[in-house]
Amino acid sequence: MMRGHRRILAACVAAVFAAISVAGADAQSPRRSEYEVKAAYLFTFARFVEWTPRPSRDDSSFTICILGADPFGATLDMTLSEAVIRGRRVGARRISEPDAAAGCHIVFVSTSEDRRMADLVPLLAGAGVLTVSDMPKFTERGGMIQFVTAANRVRFEINLQSARQAGLMMSSELLRVASAVRNATGSM
Amino acid sequence: MTADLPRILIAEDSDNDLELTLAALRSHRVANEVDVVHDGAEALDYLYCRGAFAGRTRASLALVLLDLKMPKLDGLEVLRQIKSDPALRLTPVVMLTSSREEVDLVRSYELGVNAYVVKPVEFGAFMAAVKQLGAFWAVLNELPPMPVAAAGGSGA
Amino acid sequence: MPQRSRSIARRLTFMNMLVSSIALLIAGVAFSAYDLATFRAATVRALSTEARMVASNSVTALLFNDPDTATHTLGALRASPDVVLAQIYSPDGHLFASYSRDGSTRPAALPLVPTGSDEAAVMSTSSIDLARPIVSEGATIGTVRIQADLQAMYLRLLRYASIVAVVLILSLAGALLVSYLSQRAISRPLAAVAESARQVSQARDYSIRAPRIGTAYELAVLVDSFNGMLAEVQARDESLRDARTQLEARVRERTDELRAINSELEAFTYSVSHDLRAPLRHITGFASLLDQHAGGSLDDQGRRYLTTISGAATRMATLIDDLLAFSRMGRASLTKRHVDLSQLVREARDEVSTDIDGRRVTWNVQDLPAVEADPALLRPVLVNLLSNALKYTSTRDEARIDIGAEPHPDEVVVFVRDNGVGFDMAYAHKLFGVFQRLHRADEFSGTGIGLANVRRIIQRHGGRTWAEGAVDAGATFYFSLPIQGAAA
Repeated sequence: MMRGHRRILAACVAAVFAAISVAGADAQSPRRSEYEVKAAYLFTFARFVEWTPRPSRDDSSFTICILGADPFGATLDMTLSEAVIRGRRVGARRISEPDAAAGCHIVFVSTSEDRRMADLVPLLAGAGVLTVSDMPKFTERGGMIQFVTAANRVRFEINLQSARQAGLMMSSELLRVASAVRNATGSM
Repeated sequence: MTADLPRILIAEDSDNDLELTLAALRSHRVANEVDVVHDGAEALDYLYCRGAFAGRTRASLALVLLDLKMPKLDGLEVLRQIKSDPALRLTPVVMLTSSREEVDLVRSYELGVNAYVVKPVEFGAFMAAVKQLGAFWAVLNELPPMPVAAAGGSGA
Repeated sequence: MPQRSRSIARRLTFMNMLVSSIALLIAGVAFSAYDLATFRAATVRALSTEARMVASNSVTALLFNDPDTATHTLGALRASPDVVLAQIYSPDGHLFASYSRDGSTRPAALPLVPTGSDEAAVMSTSSIDLARPIVSEGATIGTVRIQADLQAMYLRLLRYASIVAVVLILSLAGALLVSYLSQRAISRPLAAVAESARQVSQARDYSIRAPRIGTAYELAVLVDSFNGMLAEVQARDESLRDARTQLEARVRERTDELRAINSELEAFTYSVSHDLRAPLRHITGFASLLDQHAGGSLDDQGRRYLTTISGAATRMATLIDDLLAFSRMGRASLTKRHVDLSQLVREARDEVSTDIDGRRVTWNVQDLPAVEADPALLRPVLVNLLSNALKYTSTRDEARIDIGAEPHPDEVVVFVRDNGVGFDMAYAHKLFGVFQRLHRADEFSGTGIGLANVRRIIQRHGGRTWAEGAVDAGATFYFSLPIQGAAA
């Protein structure tokens, strides 16, 4: 009898808490802008990727570069201002040419570079950087991580082949949360 | 004269004592005839006129003087027979003895002795004792009548 | 006695059962407690491992806001049947992903277990709740909470309880068996000893022995000691009986001997009194007749000879009389009475005073106590002592005779003191012997029997006699009489 009462009470309390939690979670998405999320993802990727050291790059700090028109604005700098990856400070740079990517660890390819993608891919792969973009069909065309937005949530696809060719190792944990993983160019 | 007097019987095994006794009786002029026997058995024979005394005529006795210690039957046994026989019961019996033992004295009186005289060692005292006895029993005492009528006075 | 032994058996049974029950319960509880603690620790450890796995597999899902992957990760807990609920929370406390064993879509939120940097576990009566922070790059990015129910533990507990119950029943049955055997091994021998003891004390038969039953060492010792004790008692009993029988036989023997000796002595005395006196009488008698018969023809010397012959014979007769009296004294029965000693002394004085013949005699008689004695025997003692005193003072112008008594705790000492011729103390030991004289017969008359008689009478009263004196300085004769009731 007592047990029954207690159980019902506990169930009620738990239900109320769950309702609040779900409401909170729903309320989160519109508050954070799309590029705020993407900025956070950008440096979070760094935790799950291993870079092959390059002489052209200074590995004592971590550099995220934006190639082309900057969609983040101040958001990226704000996100990265206090960020530390594997004990290294994180900095952001805007570059306009792929040659400048040699000192970068991650290059966000802006949609403004859509037209010269075919040129950019081998260049950036040769520089051993992680390429990220939110332009369509980025991974199909040799990009490594492409942001996709579905059901009001930011997710991403991975082209593992590209990453390997650039000498990057991606952790299985990262692959697990990717919405899609390509193992070869042109294949899904 | 003496024939009229009743006789005295002395039972005494010792000749010396007998002589002294007779001397004493004599010196005090006891006139009765004295018969003498030397042991208890003879004394009874005398009293019952049997054996050696079968021919004796029964006559009343003035006195029987009995020595306590005698061969065959002692004085106490003779006394007992005399005092248990109705015919002899009234005969005066004096125990004349050298014994001072109380037992003998008590036994004698129990059996009905008339007198008990311890023979004194001193002759004078002995004489006095015998004299008293003779005077008392032979002279002064009235004799009881004889239960069996018999001729008196004849000597043994 | 059977009740007593059954109660011992019952007590043994009870104790056996109690001891085994307690031991088993303690063991059961201790083992269960230990096992449950171990089980709980193992459960917590397993939960912790699962939480750690979930945490490490949920990092990216949290970082990249992927509840589906997180939910998928939690689904792996289905392999652990104890886990009822598992939930992942974001750092701001929102439910991020959830798993429930019964598949309910909206499970109750798990209670918030306060956590620091590490995991924490809370155990309630029905469940264990564990919370573990999900950490990435030193930052807490979420919390995993897992709840496992304790059904398995309770099942285990139930199993233990049943095992304990079964073992308890089995061990109680074992205890019953043991106590039955112990009754045979312990209480039966005890009962047998008790029964033997009862028979012995009832029948006073010390030949009874307790049987030896069983093999228990202490019981064997008990039975042996008991039997040994009985044997000892029996031996003593028998030796006591033997000693008593022997003593009785010896007493009877001695009594018979004494009786024979006594009757011999009596016969001897009788013949002495009768036969020894006859010749003396003849001597005096014929001496007297000779005097009468030939006195006149004898000269003075002849007549003196006759007188001497008579005197000697008379004296011998006196000696014989005294000896007989002395002998009679030893055999006469003793009848003790309360005797006024002063009165007795007065009578004795009167008796001996006839010998005074106008002598000057000073009597000094103290107050004398009453004593316990046979007056018929005590009288000749006093007569003898007083007449001795008079006799040996006859050479004094004035005789002085003291009579007194000294009371002592256990005896009365009476003395008769004179100022007579006394005696040499060197011969004091001869004074009380038969025919022992310290003076010549023509000095003082007497047979030498008197003091021997005194000693014999006093000894028969349990007293002592002694004398003190010096030549020509008087003599003191003492005798003591024990006080009745004084310590022997």
